[in-house]
Amino acid sequence: MKLGSFEVKLEKRVALRGWEATLISIFAILFALVVFSYIFLRAGVDPLTGYKAIFSYAFTSSFGLPLTINRFIFLLLCTYAFIIPMRAGLWNIGMAGQLYAGALSAFAVAYAFGAKTSQNAVLPAGLVIPLMIAAAILGSAAIGAIAGFLKGRFNTNEIVVTMMINFITYWVVARMIKEGGLFMGASGEGDGFKLPESIYAPLIEGVPFTLFIALGLALLLFFLFAKTSIGYQIKAYGKSPAAAKYAGISPFNIPLLVFILGGLIAGLAGYHYFAAVPGVYKITKNYGEFGDLAFYGIICGLISQGNSLAAIPIALLFGGLTNGGRFAQGKLKLGFGIDYALLGVLMITLVAFQFFYRYRIVWVRTPGKEASDVGIHG
Amino acid sequence: MLPESIKHGDTVLEARGITKRFPGVLANDQIDFEIKAGEIHAILGENGAGKTTLMNILFGLHQPDEGELYLYGKKVNFKSPLDAIGLGIGMVHQNRKLIPAHTVIENIILGHPRAGAILNLKRAGREITELCDKYGFKIDLKAKVWQLSEGEKQVVEILKALYRGAKILILDEPTSALAPPEIKRLLDSIRIMTVDELAIVPFITHKLPIVFEISERVTVLRRGRVSARLATTETTQKGLAREMVGRDVIFRMEQMTVEKGKSILHAENLVAFNDKGVLALKDVSFSVQEGEIFGIAGVSGNGQQVLAEVLAGLRKPQGGKVILDGADITHSSTLDFWMKGIGYIPSERIDVGSIGEFSLAENFTMNYYFDDRFSRGGIVDYKEIRRLTEQMISEYDVAAPGPDTTAKSLSGGNLQKLILARVLSRKPRLLIANLPTQGLDIGATEFVQKKIMEAKKEKAGILLISEDLDEVLSLSDRVAPMYEGEFMGIIPGGEARRELVGAMMAGLKPKVEQL
Amino acid sequence: MWEFMVRSLDASTIFTIAALSELLGQRSGILNVGVEGVMLFGATIGFMVAQTTGSYLLGFLAAMAIGGLIGLIHGFFSITLGSDQVVNGMGIWILGFGLTTYIGYPYTGPLGMERIPDILGLSPFFFVGLALIIIAWFVLTKTSLGLRIRSVGENPSVAEVSGINVARTRYLSVTTSGMLMGFAGAIYSLDYNPVWSNDFLMGWGFIALALVFFSMWHPFILLGGSILFGTLWQLSLNPQLVLPDVLSRYIWRTVPFAITIGVLVLMSTKWFSSRWGAAKPEALGLPYEEKG
Repeated sequence: MKLGSFEVKLEKRVALRGWEATLISIFAILFALVVFSYIFLRAGVDPLTGYKAIFSYAFTSSFGLPLTINRFIFLLLCTYAFIIPMRAGLWNIGMAGQLYAGALSAFAVAYAFGAKTSQNAVLPAGLVIPLMIAAAILGSAAIGAIAGFLKGRFNTNEIVVTMMINFITYWVVARMIKEGGLFMGASGEGDGFKLPESIYAPLIEGVPFTLFIALGLALLLFFLFAKTSIGYQIKAYGKSPAAAKYAGISPFNIPLLVFILGGLIAGLAGYHYFAAVPGVYKITKNYGEFGDLAFYGIICGLISQGNSLAAIPIALLFGGLTNGGRFAQGKLKLGFGIDYALLGVLMITLVAFQFFYRYRIVWVRTPGKEASDVGIHG
Repeated sequence: MLPESIKHGDTVLEARGITKRFPGVLANDQIDFEIKAGEIHAILGENGAGKTTLMNILFGLHQPDEGELYLYGKKVNFKSPLDAIGLGIGMVHQNRKLIPAHTVIENIILGHPRAGAILNLKRAGREITELCDKYGFKIDLKAKVWQLSEGEKQVVEILKALYRGAKILILDEPTSALAPPEIKRLLDSIRIMTVDELAIVPFITHKLPIVFEISERVTVLRRGRVSARLATTETTQKGLAREMVGRDVIFRMEQMTVEKGKSILHAENLVAFNDKGVLALKDVSFSVQEGEIFGIAGVSGNGQQVLAEVLAGLRKPQGGKVILDGADITHSSTLDFWMKGIGYIPSERIDVGSIGEFSLAENFTMNYYFDDRFSRGGIVDYKEIRRLTEQMISEYDVAAPGPDTTAKSLSGGNLQKLILARVLSRKPRLLIANLPTQGLDIGATEFVQKKIMEAKKEKAGILLISEDLDEVLSLSDRVAPMYEGEFMGIIPGGEARRELVGAMMAGLKPKVEQL
Repeated sequence: MWEFMVRSLDASTIFTIAALSELLGQRSGILNVGVEGVMLFGATIGFMVAQTTGSYLLGFLAAMAIGGLIGLIHGFFSITLGSDQVVNGMGIWILGFGLTTYIGYPYTGPLGMERIPDILGLSPFFFVGLALIIIAWFVLTKTSLGLRIRSVGENPSVAEVSGINVARTRYLSVTTSGMLMGFAGAIYSLDYNPVWSNDFLMGWGFIALALVFFSMWHPFILLGGSILFGTLWQLSLNPQLVLPDVLSRYIWRTVPFAITIGVLVLMSTKWFSSRWGAAKPEALGLPYEEKG
């Protein structure tokens, strides 16, 4: 394409530098928000008013901000559950299933200690809470391990397997909390039983302690991939399974490991949302929505290019957008599902923008022919 | 466009001043030549001499920046291979352009204008059989291409071109994957074609003897230009090589006698399957000693790849034992093979031997992430590995800006040097070199061979797998020709005559007294 | 029991058409993991248009149009831009899931139109599905177009030097594939279960995706697989018809998903692939840059 004495050309990138990736991501998100304005306009709302409602509720309101932080913790954990297999070139879209498994396991511990029968019971928190977390981790890691094992042993497509497991665990949760299931709450409306106050997850400065686990994981994962031998093996497998195998990296252990780790972290997300968020403390009957929300982990993971530190601001932004979106939906009388629509628009924009990870637009002055007879090549 | 009749010696294709530039590279510079009907005209040149570019221009895959092509005296301008095919130019690619999952007949009629909206396989089958009878090809048209040997695949490619009505046949390295008897059959068929006034244009890099056997005229390319036009009767192999490289070439590596030490590797009765579940290795036994090069000669697909993978710990054998320094390591992990001193240079440089998106230092890490000197307590010392990479880049003369460039930006020869540097820097007890010089130019080939000899001097045992008979014969202390998963015998290097090894590669097992 | 079998075949019809459409795209080398998303688009738009205009025909046409459009977009990302096809498919799935939740919400509830008349008790689309299977088989194995599609899916560079326009062939496949996916979605929302609710497909598209692997890319095996899965699906919805009071209905719902995993694992074993050959198109999922 020619513009005056300049020519606009696409050029293949040799390498993608960190700041370039960041810039592309920022443009992608901005572009998505601009596109999404159309949905506001269609609903008769000025986009600026719409975004203002979203952001002010999400980040400055005393009601909204704690919710945003809770959602941020959840999304960040889901992102890490996605990122670890992603670095090995594998797709974990089973965060939903893994987090259900984690939540179910955590509540099984509470159930075993009699939490269902006496809502006011004083249980030994120092014992029960760590056990709940351990159970959540084990349960979800076991569910994650299925996909990893099948990939490593039989090379079974992990996308279909993790997706199928999402549906399986979805219905297992339904079995547990509805129609007389073991975990059904007293109201009988399809919610799980409520945890006794004595085993609520402790808050630090009003924020669930899971925040610090999530941020700790950010550093840990960064270290894992930057410095360790295991991290190297995961990356090598991700870039080229055949070359990794040649270098003595086990094509069985790596898929299994990344899915166990990914599942484990998704389990923490499950524990966090159903057992640590103030005001929840139960498996809600709309648990499916939290499962759906886990798919934001895919977007955060893709935008951050698998970098656990870069994922922090992105998860925070998306935590705010989804939380504020739900609020704006009520306040501005928008249709149901505006947050889902945003999820879709963000994802497809990101997909379109991946193009710029490989190509860049360059402006070339067009003075005549350039002489390029430099070397010889076959 | 095709003239009514072509007489022997008519000029059918003429190139005038063909020039092609790529960013930063002048690939073809003012190339002229003439191709005549009924003649075999070889184009000779090293890798990087511009052969591939020229071939792609003749076939319409690239368009020249300057210069013209004349077909039967008329100027032509190929926009795509389809134009070239339509005007009677056929191409037989070295990396076969066939679809393995399809049948022979489907491959031949693919894209043919007369294939019909609803495929008329009967008519096509009849016509193709006629071609086969005429030129002496034998092939099962209903077989799937993946079931065929390399030679049969080449026949399919030739048939595809002829079925499209090719009058000018470009052959890319026509003999590189063939066993000697197959080469003979191919030459017979080609001679029948010249009687029919087809023009045959083989492009050849390495195999100078073939040039003499096959062609009447030769155009030699060097650094993008025509360096000589010769009749084969007027020159010698040495002369051709000089024109190709621009200097005299040493044809034989100087043999070196290293005192052989104790035996390093014992392979006992190895039996293994390939990826398709076909028995590819049938009861192979041998041993390799310190300071010895054990050469395996054979046409690709005769089990060398599977053997290399078994010995590198990448594939588990169904039967037999791998014994290294007296210890049975048959069931050890791949990593154990590396740690116990086996170093493997795979034939698949890009897909297996390196990771394109990784930097050179990260590529080096492939062989060092488990090494106590570079990885302590699970933490990789990237600084130290980077330093090692830097040192090796200069020691092995790898043309790269530094250890942080990505491997995919390296040329084939430099990538192979990098892999060689990485594997040899571990000072392996046993080096397995699988097709170490395939596709490299003469300079890089000499370098790689020199480094393999140096490893031999340092008392490593070396297993050299090569399809290049000259390479195997000139480097090896003992040679084992391989055919259909078996060794046809093990011959001491001094007694390995070219004809004998060639016959054995084609499946002839000499009687014991002949050895 | 008859009722159960009829409903099973109705469900199979949707699996058949959805999986066949994915098969068509995959034979040309384009993987679309977003089948569920395209089906959601087709189902939702088809439902909205049919309800608004009162015409089934317009509903189905709209569904096929939107499906074709999404297929085209997937083609643009995957063929022209050469982006990662799995990422693109994920994008399409999440876009479909997110956007249809929002735009379809005001239409929540039954369609409120006279049901599409059946033929011999079966949905007419069952016969459409059968016809499509036969057509697809014929086109793929007996025609020049089919040979071209299979060739670009196996090895696009070979196809290109044989004079085939790789991009055009792939666009054709992936767009047709999208139209059929939209159609399959609309059969669900206009015929099989004409009630709109939020994210109602619940994994049909993903099962259809798995069915393609199951079929080893052969239309007839795909038909068999679809009938098997349709029956299982129906069984999970009405377990009391066949096995009353054996398990909770929620647990029955997990069965088709669990069996999908089982089948997929069976197919990836060495035992299976060495006997039945690796039928997977060689170039599936790989972007191709034309040289010409």
